[in-house]
Amino acid sequence: MAVERPRQLELRVNPIACDAHGLCMELLPELISADLWGYPIIRSGPVPLRLQALARRAVADCPTLALLLTERQ
Amino acid sequence: MTAPGATTAWAGQPPAPGELRLITGDQPLSLAEHIERYGPAPLAGPGATALITEVDHAGLTGRGGGAFPAARKMRAVADASLRRGKVRSGTGSVVVANGSESEPASSKDEVLLSHAPHLVLDGITLSAAAVGADQAYLCLSPRNPAMARAVAAAVAERDQAGFSEPPVTLISTPDGYLSGQETALISALNGSHPLPTFIPPRPAERGVQRRPTLVQNVETLAHIALIARFGATWFREVGTAGAPGSALVTVTGCVARPGVREIPLGTPLGEVLRRSGALSGAQAVLTGGYFGTWLPLPAAWQVPVSEESMRAAGAALGPGVLAVLPGSACGLAETARVLGFLADNSARQCGPCRNGMPALADAMKQIAFGRPGHDVVGWIGQLSGLITSRGACHLPDGGAALARTALDVFAADLRAHLASGPCDRAYRPAALPIPTGRA
Amino acid sequence: MGSGVTGAGHVGAIIVTSSTPLWYATRATGLVALVLLTISMMLGLLSSVRFQRPEWPRFVTLGLHRNVTLLALGFTVMHVLTTVLDSFVSIPLADAFVPFISSYRPIWIGLGAIAFDLMIALVVTSLLRTRLGLRSWRLVHWSAYLCWPVAVLHGLGTGTDTPVRWVLALTACCVLAVAVLTIWRLALTWPDRPLAAVAGVVVLVLVLIAGGAWLRTGPLAPGWSHRSGTHSSQPGAAGRP
Repeated sequence: MAVERPRQLELRVNPIACDAHGLCMELLPELISADLWGYPIIRSGPVPLRLQALARRAVADCPTLALLLTERQ
Repeated sequence: MTAPGATTAWAGQPPAPGELRLITGDQPLSLAEHIERYGPAPLAGPGATALITEVDHAGLTGRGGGAFPAARKMRAVADASLRRGKVRSGTGSVVVANGSESEPASSKDEVLLSHAPHLVLDGITLSAAAVGADQAYLCLSPRNPAMARAVAAAVAERDQAGFSEPPVTLISTPDGYLSGQETALISALNGSHPLPTFIPPRPAERGVQRRPTLVQNVETLAHIALIARFGATWFREVGTAGAPGSALVTVTGCVARPGVREIPLGTPLGEVLRRSGALSGAQAVLTGGYFGTWLPLPAAWQVPVSEESMRAAGAALGPGVLAVLPGSACGLAETARVLGFLADNSARQCGPCRNGMPALADAMKQIAFGRPGHDVVGWIGQLSGLITSRGACHLPDGGAALARTALDVFAADLRAHLASGPCDRAYRPAALPIPTGRA
Repeated sequence: MGSGVTGAGHVGAIIVTSSTPLWYATRATGLVALVLLTISMMLGLLSSVRFQRPEWPRFVTLGLHRNVTLLALGFTVMHVLTTVLDSFVSIPLADAFVPFISSYRPIWIGLGAIAFDLMIALVVTSLLRTRLGLRSWRLVHWSAYLCWPVAVLHGLGTGTDTPVRWVLALTACCVLAVAVLTIWRLALTWPDRPLAAVAGVVVLVLVLIAGGAWLRTGPLAPGWSHRSGTHSSQPGAAGRP
């Protein structure tokens, strides 16, 4: 039984696509907070393992598909 | 890599240290004169990746403002091109020579293209061969029709002489401060709005017509043309170890002899300004352009002109603009006007910049001209933090850096303004010209 | 099985019905599907207007919208299956997907097929949203504005329960709810052009009035079953031709 090494994932936002709908910060308040105008500020660093499922959901739920989950370089 | 010997004394000989490399006279060089001066370009055919290694050893960085290592860009495009399989017609990579020069205070690209278009065109041909490009675009500023005609004539000369691989399409970059930005230019070439796009995908992966695209400033390409002839060691004969080679700078403002100069990188700022006849009483210099930074004068006299040295001093060289501010001007007022210009010319695509830049400009205007709100300096700091690194391009970053350095360099004026309102100098005509309307 | 059909002259008409459980199931699942689809539309519209309260975050609207739509699709599938399996009237499975080929009330069953097809497209594209990209997904999702009214019309035109008071009231409530939220949505679509919003609302009201007029002269008027293409031996056929 192979043990899968957990992938290092990082959250990024496409600032052009983002329209400050605010779903991502509702789902992931640990990692995403709102600035003065409602746009997301994403905490830097890899997404903790326990939050990865929620992060995937936030990416899928973003009304403009502006939130991205990428492999950490 | 020197060219074979020719009849005239300095034909094909590498320029000596101390000699100008890029602009050698007042008149534009014709193709024949160009070949006489520099020797023929060592064209080696497609897949000539040895050039990339040479450029790498030379340590050439982009001269458009980003200072990104040129060889790394070329290698990325060459690799992407290889990954797409053999170069077939219409599917190879693309070279975009960026002479848009949308920064109002800069004119080095204009001067270079007017005087040495063949160097730039050589650079295009050579880098196209190195990255597997079968198409090239040369994007020109729309501000100078005479220069555009000179470039067109140079292209025609080359066509007649048989140097037409790859075909170079001349493009007039659309008006707009951001139109010359790398992804914005590619977007325009793809028929879309000339506004920055989100990365990924990087231009090296997918750019014009979804093909790997090499975007280089025209001055960078001119240097590549010289490195191909004379080698990396020659290139490093001037400049410093960390910033090799020469560069074009545009010196404007209160100097007796404003204009474009070629300088060895690492030359102290004071010497560059002195050569241009910096008038006494100059209080500061704006480096890098309108989204650049302030340095105090004469305190920054010793700062070497190079991207790395300027960054160490909290400034940025960018596309090499050095705008000198006279003592008779109010630095805060000038900054407020420039910030207003930047805010007006934002692409308005990204929330933080669309909201934050006008707020930043307003706050600076309050300090400069009106009644600043409570803790306006703290407010400016907060705004700067909110807009930096949160847009698709670096316009907000530049605005934030401009504001920060202004409050630093003009600290005495700041205290005076906050204590007793705008100074008299604030109401004088602008020392830094702001293009009217949406430039 | 069905009760007898009387000839002309008999006082009052007796509607031919099948009393199989499947016939009841078809009508019931159809109504439930309509209500669920209405709720889904409402939640979708709430999402468009960015409705949000401290106790009602946006992801709740979105999550409910997704789940209610899936439930609506499930009930629609049951509605289709019970109709097809009901041997009293021949409605093969193809009629549920290909519009207007049915021999029973072709136009109105056809509208049901259109709504069903659109629902499938909406659900499938939404499940594959991240792979499809925003533009394609959005293009298909606009068809929700077509799917729901078509489903309502299908229910009113095909449904033999349309004249029943509470069914009519239920349908009216659904239409009203979606209409109100659509007006809210329209008002926010063109924040700087109030005239466009007013025009949109006027069009909506006209559509509702037209719908009401059709209802009165169509399904609620006598003889509808014949005019809609019901043969005398099929459900909903009136005693009088």
